[in-house]
Amino acid sequence: MNKDSAILIIKNAMQKRRKALSEYEAKQVLAAYGIPVTRECLAEKRADVEKAAQEIGYPLVMKGCSSEIVHKTEKGLIYTDIRSDAEALKAFDQIKERLNVYSGAVLIQEMIPGRRELVMGMTRDDQFGPCVMFGLGGIFTEILKDISFRRAPLEKSDALEIMQEIKGHNILGAFRGMEAADVESLADILIQLGKIGLEIDHVQEIDLNPVIIFGKKPIVVDALMILE
Amino acid sequence: MDQKNCDTIIADYERIFHPQKLAIVGVSEEGTGFGSGMFNALQAMGFEGEIFPVNPKGGEFSGTDIYRQIEDIPVRLDFAIICVTAKAVPDVLEACRKNGAAGAEILSAGFSELGTAEGIELEKKIRQIAAKGIRVVGPNCFGIYCPRSRLTLLPGPDLSRRSGPVAFLSQSGGMAIDFAHKGKWMGIGFSKVVSFGNGADLRETELLRYLARDPETRIITMYIEGIKDGDSFFREIKAASYSKPVIVCKGGLSPAGQRMVVSHTASMGGSRVIWQSVLTQVNAIQVQDLEELVEASLAFSLLPEKVFKAISVVGGGGALGVTACDAAEAFGIEIPPLSADLQTRIGELLPKPGSSALNPIDVANPFVSPKVLKEILRNTAQDDRIDLQIIISLLYHYKTIARALGKPVAEVAPYRELAETIRDVMKETGKPIVVVLANPKRGVDDLDIIEMLALARREFLDRGLPVFDELHEAIRAIGHVNSYYGRRKAENE
Repeated sequence: MNKDSAILIIKNAMQKRRKALSEYEAKQVLAAYGIPVTRECLAEKRADVEKAAQEIGYPLVMKGCSSEIVHKTEKGLIYTDIRSDAEALKAFDQIKERLNVYSGAVLIQEMIPGRRELVMGMTRDDQFGPCVMFGLGGIFTEILKDISFRRAPLEKSDALEIMQEIKGHNILGAFRGMEAADVESLADILIQLGKIGLEIDHVQEIDLNPVIIFGKKPIVVDALMILE
Repeated sequence: MDQKNCDTIIADYERIFHPQKLAIVGVSEEGTGFGSGMFNALQAMGFEGEIFPVNPKGGEFSGTDIYRQIEDIPVRLDFAIICVTAKAVPDVLEACRKNGAAGAEILSAGFSELGTAEGIELEKKIRQIAAKGIRVVGPNCFGIYCPRSRLTLLPGPDLSRRSGPVAFLSQSGGMAIDFAHKGKWMGIGFSKVVSFGNGADLRETELLRYLARDPETRIITMYIEGIKDGDSFFREIKAASYSKPVIVCKGGLSPAGQRMVVSHTASMGGSRVIWQSVLTQVNAIQVQDLEELVEASLAFSLLPEKVFKAISVVGGGGALGVTACDAAEAFGIEIPPLSADLQTRIGELLPKPGSSALNPIDVANPFVSPKVLKEILRNTAQDDRIDLQIIISLLYHYKTIARALGKPVAEVAPYRELAETIRDVMKETGKPIVVVLANPKRGVDDLDIIEMLALARREFLDRGLPVFDELHEAIRAIGHVNSYYGRRKAENE
């Protein structure tokens, strides 16, 4: 995947007058910018499930994947810790049923273990243009709103500083037997998010939530990209 | 921009801020209105250039002939102050441009701020004339204050005539005049104050660029509501902050934009948090209100350009130790206990009982003489870790003594001696000393204390000692200095 094909994905979606990319598409765009994302594949049909599961390897996460649904948890479209073909098929059926009227497939992805969840994102400010966000992820994003922003483009020093600015910055250090997070890789993701904002005008907003620290490496587990 | 162009711009600014030939359009013989008020204010300030009052009715004001129109003025103007009705402004401005004036400030209101088609159209005309070659401040503003040339804001006949290192750019005229007045007694000297109102021509970004290069300005302060061009503003404020501190009070911060947003990132990225982040990104200092703005300006004006990691606090009153340590901790400043040796020496100087030589040093008695305080400060400065000293003076207690002696408190309180003492210690030790003049007695019964403290403040300020009302305000201001120079140093490394 390179930047040209990423732009093609966005153009196609725009032509269909879609307001967002699906998670699968959003992650392809991210990958084109060198941002680490979960290994995953899309299962359209029930018959695809077993092969996909084998390819990714258990345990798995399965999600309803539709550009029409921006917040999946509320709709009960996420199944985690799936450990067998039987469970996978059952999850597939239930997701399909819940997707119901929406167009969409089932996303089968590796489950990333890790207790530290971060959020990163990009928004466009009326006065300052694309701005990149960093903060505590998962459910804490909305509860604590422990976040900070930088205007794009971000220099390396900006990216390192914004991580130190949140109150919960100690989450990146070594504690309770966990390794210190790889801040260089985190900084790269923030810098690249700024680049997407500057290079692709059609991308209006981005949420990467959660970004899970696996060992010490950050991996984007869920992504949302809102189009203009 | 080529060198010639750049020189022309600098020459134009010089004529705008230090005009020799100045027209005031809208001076009436009856002496009513802004124009006449401005004429009087400039005379009261001691403006030394030549003033040409203008009014179509002609006549005479305050011994000076009034010209009927700009066209009748026989010399090339440097600057014009325009206070006529909005409708008449474009013609007057065009006449000023044809005369060759470098700039004009338009005090009149009735433009885009009304939101009417007519107001917006009039402002567009102003912009068009400005583009042809005259710089405009305003409309809907209080103008320029420059102590060196004695240009003054509306209606400021009594602003300080002393120049200093602080420049202020303000979208709000009220903030400009308030800061100018407050700065006068709090010890702020101004290089230039510009209330630019609607900012039809000159506004935050271009003025910022000028002030960054202005040798008269060492500290830039701003009150901003909205900016016109985020990209160029970002570039200029970043460049300016690199060479001098830029302190910003951002007004009108709203929690989120009006636009519909879907993602969490966008919903949390309202203008308030984005502004905060952007100001941090460019190493500008953000303050919340006028008080904090003045206090920060004072600290930047009088303190050396460095980080004060550890401080000592000498004084008494108000749960001193706890208050000082809490305030300092919030800004990452240490108040380290003094060495045992120093504690013993200082302890011998302190009255007993109830005092403490630990740091904060509680003198326990408000009547400790300046001589003893001097020794305490000299000893404290010997601790190598201490970068700066704060002394809290409870001069208001001298009212009790004054009453017993039947004398006014201003005669009894030894503020002048104290000011001299502190200045001497500062010079001797090379470590800055910040003064806190605490006063819980501010009612009508204690106007004599308020007067005495105003006199005391002047004595301290005259000797280059920054004065604050409260300890936490002093520490917050020092915190801003630390944060700026700390980050600037990190950038340069």
